[in-house]
Amino acid sequence: MALFTRAPKAEPILGQNRLVAHLLSFLTWIIGLMFFFPLFWLTVNGFKEESVASADPTLRFEPTLDRFSEVTEANSGLLSFAEAFGNSFWIVLISTAFVMVLAIPAAYALSIRPMKKWRDVLFFFISTKFLPIVGIIMPVWIIARDLELLGTRTVLVVLYTAMNLPLAVWMLRSFFAEVPKELIEAAQIDGCSLIGQIRQVLLPIVAPGVAATALLCVIFAWNEFFFAVQLNPTGASTIPVWVNSQQKFQGQFIASLSAASVLATLPVVIAGWVAQKRMIRGLAMGAIK
Amino acid sequence: MAEVRYEKASRIYGFGGVGAVRAVNELDLNIADGELLVLVGPSGSGKSTALRMLAGLETVNEGSIFIDDVDVTLKPPQDRDIAMVFQNYALYPSMTVGENMGFALKQAKVPKAERRAQVEEAARILDLEPYLDRKPKNLSGGQRQRVAMGRAIVRSPQVFLMDEPLSNLDAKLRVQTRTELADLQARLGTTMVYVTHDQVEAMTMGHRVAVLDHGELQQVDTPRRLYSSPANLFVAGFIGSPAMNLIETDRTGDELHFGSTVVPLSDDVQADLKASASTRFVVGVRPEHLIQTPDGAPCGATVVEELGSDAFVHASMPHNGTEATVVVRVDGETAITRGDNLTIAIGGPVHIFDAESGVRLGKPVT
Amino acid sequence: MSNAVVDREVDSKKESRANEIKRLERREGWKRRLPILPALLFTIVVTQIPFLFTLFYSLTDWRIDKLEPRQFIGIDNYTSLTEESEKFFREAAWVSVQMTVMAVLFSLIVGTMLAILLDRKFFGQGFIRTLLITPFLVMPVVAGLMWKTQMLNFNFGIINWILNGLGQESVEFATRYPMGSVIVVLVWQWSPFMMLIVLAGLQGQDPSVLEAARVDGASTFGIFRQITFPQLRPFLELGTLLGAIYLIQVYDHIEVIVGGQPGANNLPFYIAQRSIGGGNRFGLASTYSIIVVIASIIIANIGLRVLSNLLEDDS
Repeated sequence: MALFTRAPKAEPILGQNRLVAHLLSFLTWIIGLMFFFPLFWLTVNGFKEESVASADPTLRFEPTLDRFSEVTEANSGLLSFAEAFGNSFWIVLISTAFVMVLAIPAAYALSIRPMKKWRDVLFFFISTKFLPIVGIIMPVWIIARDLELLGTRTVLVVLYTAMNLPLAVWMLRSFFAEVPKELIEAAQIDGCSLIGQIRQVLLPIVAPGVAATALLCVIFAWNEFFFAVQLNPTGASTIPVWVNSQQKFQGQFIASLSAASVLATLPVVIAGWVAQKRMIRGLAMGAIK
Repeated sequence: MAEVRYEKASRIYGFGGVGAVRAVNELDLNIADGELLVLVGPSGSGKSTALRMLAGLETVNEGSIFIDDVDVTLKPPQDRDIAMVFQNYALYPSMTVGENMGFALKQAKVPKAERRAQVEEAARILDLEPYLDRKPKNLSGGQRQRVAMGRAIVRSPQVFLMDEPLSNLDAKLRVQTRTELADLQARLGTTMVYVTHDQVEAMTMGHRVAVLDHGELQQVDTPRRLYSSPANLFVAGFIGSPAMNLIETDRTGDELHFGSTVVPLSDDVQADLKASASTRFVVGVRPEHLIQTPDGAPCGATVVEELGSDAFVHASMPHNGTEATVVVRVDGETAITRGDNLTIAIGGPVHIFDAESGVRLGKPVT
Repeated sequence: MSNAVVDREVDSKKESRANEIKRLERREGWKRRLPILPALLFTIVVTQIPFLFTLFYSLTDWRIDKLEPRQFIGIDNYTSLTEESEKFFREAAWVSVQMTVMAVLFSLIVGTMLAILLDRKFFGQGFIRTLLITPFLVMPVVAGLMWKTQMLNFNFGIINWILNGLGQESVEFATRYPMGSVIVVLVWQWSPFMMLIVLAGLQGQDPSVLEAARVDGASTFGIFRQITFPQLRPFLELGTLLGAIYLIQVYDHIEVIVGGQPGANNLPFYIAQRSIGGGNRFGLASTYSIIVVIASIIIANIGLRVLSNLLEDDS
């Protein structure tokens, strides 16, 4: 059951009457715009002079890109934009690659050729997501310290892999479960090896789902702050830590903070917009499909 | 070209554990070279499991399976030289029709030119030539079914395995395709094992039909003999449409009653009845073997199904102290309507079964 | 050859065959299990083993700023939780409970309303849906900073600007209502998530059932209450579960919006503060962690039962 292809369409709950329907549409537009407004305002502020941003709200101003160049070039703090971006980029890329390498075979063993007790194993994976991060942060910190990994990219790669793995297994399983098992059996009878079955038959079908899963892992890893600030407060820290450091305790900083926020948010928001349908489906329908 | 042999082959779920279920129990079955054998039964009868055991998709927990006298029990599917058509066709959605059909040959490292020739030959047989470059999702249900067939025949396997290949087609296309399929099998002369739940399909297509129920082989025979001489109560009830009238009755000495009439019994049935200690039996009569006669058992018509050439009258008959429903075939021109009274009697072969064991009394009809 | 010998030979042949089948089945079992082992081992090593360490730490008086060796003190840390010295812990726990419950509840209500509004055909439906899900994609740090400096700010926040326009005094939201401020931002981020889950439920309804109800003369409200709502229930439960799991762990928003202010520190923030963040009380803070884990296990147990019901018709 696809979420956004809706034929035959269930009747909407509201809006049998035409006038009511128009009013509701109008209301939905207003609410939608209101929800988005803070982000709109954030973006607008990024193009202002500091003095304009730290004054009564206005839309009448000379837009400038200076804040963006300031925050990207500044090297005042401990962490420059280039460093933070580089760290985030590599940590997100490598951890997501690890997640996929581990999760694809795991999801296979939970759906296409299910092992015995696959339900228990799936529940184990989900349940690790229920383990609050504070439940492990201290030993992780101690171990990282003893291995001299505090302040390195490595520790975040490992932790982000662990953080996203259950989610990826969960989503991929739901995409894999939609593949008819007869397809794999047909490939078996046609004399296809196990690797061939996965590469030639399974992956072409589930590729969009795999991509959506990877994208969601990217988003979560990119946005992660707790581990980054606890384990990497200075050294190899990431974009969220960098954005937070744009908050100053004296002087005007709202415009430059806004510019920094836009830079930090834009990549994943665009990624999320592009893949929204499939991502939502995998996430929400994981339970149902 | 091959014969297939099941020797006491069993599929046991939860093998070795408590509560193990025998999905297929000690199946003994010989399928001759070039034969089209149909496995038929209700859902849960083990027919698909039996087929999948032959394909190598289900473990054979006990017994053996031979293809052409080679023991394939422990071989993986790819080493059995079989081709299978699935109910949902299982076409690879990312490949074109041509690639689908040539996939097995590609796996077997057949040179490209030869592969192409074989695919085109199969496409010609199945009228699929214009569609070779299309993706399965751009085909109609009937065309997809033919692609699935094509994928099987391209390989010229030893045995075709068909798992309800027509049940996703609409009624009209199904009837047409089943004739084509039977014709194709006859032309190719390749052994085929065909699974269906539809007894009409089984009867029209099979050279022989094996009836399964609860994992047990009930009877394997030609369609005609299955119809005229069912080995037990299950087969009697399962084969034939409309179904055989099966009326339970208590014995009165060495006589059995059908409504107010006494059932005419042949000598061998009579002998078996005398020897039996059971008290309850089932009288089986096909609708076309009930005749209207003035000294028959009285009954009242409740429903009349007009089929044109003939009609089936459902009638309520006082029997053994209650009302039993019987179906009688009458001529299409007979003007019987609901509420009419008629008197009927057995005017043809009658089948007697032990009500407890379901076993047939007397010798099989020849 | 006597019959007995033949029998024995047949028997041993049968036995070796049975062994062969068992061996193949075992191999098949391992073949099926093998692909999951790397992921399973990795998860156990990175999440389960550290948890056992936490459990062990919680039974010690360990401080990492002191050189004294850590001492095993049994459940003393746990019993101390009820004492006067631990009133900040109890405060943080209470904040966690209130914050999680309110954030989940309000997100669920807002999300359901949004889903109902979106579940109609209208001009710009896809565009509005895209706008509505965006808050969920935004980095929590950015969400917190943005609300704090541009929406709720005393001097030039939009909300106070509107209040002033209406003739009201400005309010210092983040100091006067620290928890409320955090909850507003959480609801802004999580309503879209709830909306998506409820929307999945609404659009997964069987249209013929709704048509049948309409033919039977049910009113719009009656249909919602008697047909749509029962079908939505598992989705609402799923949303509550996932929301609770994430929201009980909220840290970023608190650090960014109210960081350290009394009255809005939840457990994750307080635990970090008392251990890595300078408190150095690893033993005691581990005890707090265990309490959070126990609370999560209770939620998760209820949640898993819901999920397993959803998975039933799936095998």
